[in-house]
Amino acid sequence: MSVAAPVLEIRDVGRVHASRNGPVRVLGPVSLEVGRGELVAIMGPSGSGKSTLLAIAGALDRPTEGRVVVAGRDLADLSAAQLAELRRRTLGYVFQDLNLLPGLTALENVALPLELDGASLPAARDEARAALARVKMQHLADRFPEDLSGGEQQRVAIARAFVGKRSMLLADEPTGALDSVTGELVMRLLRDQCDAGGTALLVTHDATHAAWADRVLHLVDGRIVDAASSPRANRSNAVGP
Amino acid sequence: MTVRHSLLALLDREPAHGYGLKTAFEERTSNAWPLNVGQVYTTLARLERDGLVTPRTAEEGPRQTWSITDAGRAQLAGWYASPVVDDPPQRDELAIKVLLAIAAEGEDVDGILAAQRATTMERLQELTRHKVRADPDRDLAWLLILDAWILTAEAQIRWLDLCAARLAARGER
Repeated sequence: MSVAAPVLEIRDVGRVHASRNGPVRVLGPVSLEVGRGELVAIMGPSGSGKSTLLAIAGALDRPTEGRVVVAGRDLADLSAAQLAELRRRTLGYVFQDLNLLPGLTALENVALPLELDGASLPAARDEARAALARVKMQHLADRFPEDLSGGEQQRVAIARAFVGKRSMLLADEPTGALDSVTGELVMRLLRDQCDAGGTALLVTHDATHAAWADRVLHLVDGRIVDAASSPRANRSNAVGP
Repeated sequence: MTVRHSLLALLDREPAHGYGLKTAFEERTSNAWPLNVGQVYTTLARLERDGLVTPRTAEEGPRQTWSITDAGRAQLAGWYASPVVDDPPQRDELAIKVLLAIAAEGEDVDGILAAQRATTMERLQELTRHKVRADPDRDLAWLLILDAWILTAEAQIRWLDLCAARLAARGER
């Protein structure tokens, strides 16, 4: 683990919903740190709080207790406008589907967050083109989403989520709608992006996809019940070529 | 593991000596299941007894070589033609451990499931790292073995999750 400040720091975070029968705890308290270059997967049964945790980490939902620090900024200290800016500039999101705007080409989709941030059109497109090249989609840059396969759309969504100076990607079941070979391609891509210095937090129900992560957290009833980690250093292994 | 049929399959390509069979087997199966050379020789002796292989007089050097007989070829063809059936299934230590822990009523079954899940997940991560490094053109055998082990580990994780869900549902009734 690096000594640099974590990209994401979640400290004793919980989420309680009000309901007719009184308060219902959907998450926590949980604590979690994610460092730069790390890919962390969250697994757990339906209703275990994994999507809530992801939404809180991605500043899409607020916790009812605890502290969330993203790229050094305590989310509780930010105004609504500052949160919106953080979501636009610092974070990237990939969901199961409907990630891309249908009226824009792949290139325009990836360039959009940069343009919204005030980049000039040529600069945004250059950067978007480079981001598409990193996910090996440069040859389809001018296609509209409806002319791309599900796997190609997810690759464009990942390119967009990492474009510019984004600190962290949040992905909720990004492989959920894909067949297993295409899903594996998407995971390979996420892995490559993290190995190149990106950071990602991923919710998945698929253990074979979670296994691409450096750490896999298992959430049950809103709490982390176990965590599996894989040291980067190769372990000695008796088998294999 | 069926060393017998593996040796017949290797000898069907070309005659070989015992140590050559060991290395050829390990090469084709990516060292996933290392063979003891003693096991190769005892298996060859049994195959010879059954008339499926025959020793050849050494022409070049002191090592005994073996070749497959027509009966050996017929046996090999039968092996390839018969699907592998796991019936009755092999004893499953994890399933037995979990069932006995549930029956013991006092054991921390959730703890056993969680610890096993984390360990299997780490194994799955390790196998996935091997897969990332494997070259699909050069290491096809190794990749296919990794796929099999990965899917087995995944099945175990899904089974552990099902156990936890069924136990939780029983607790709520």
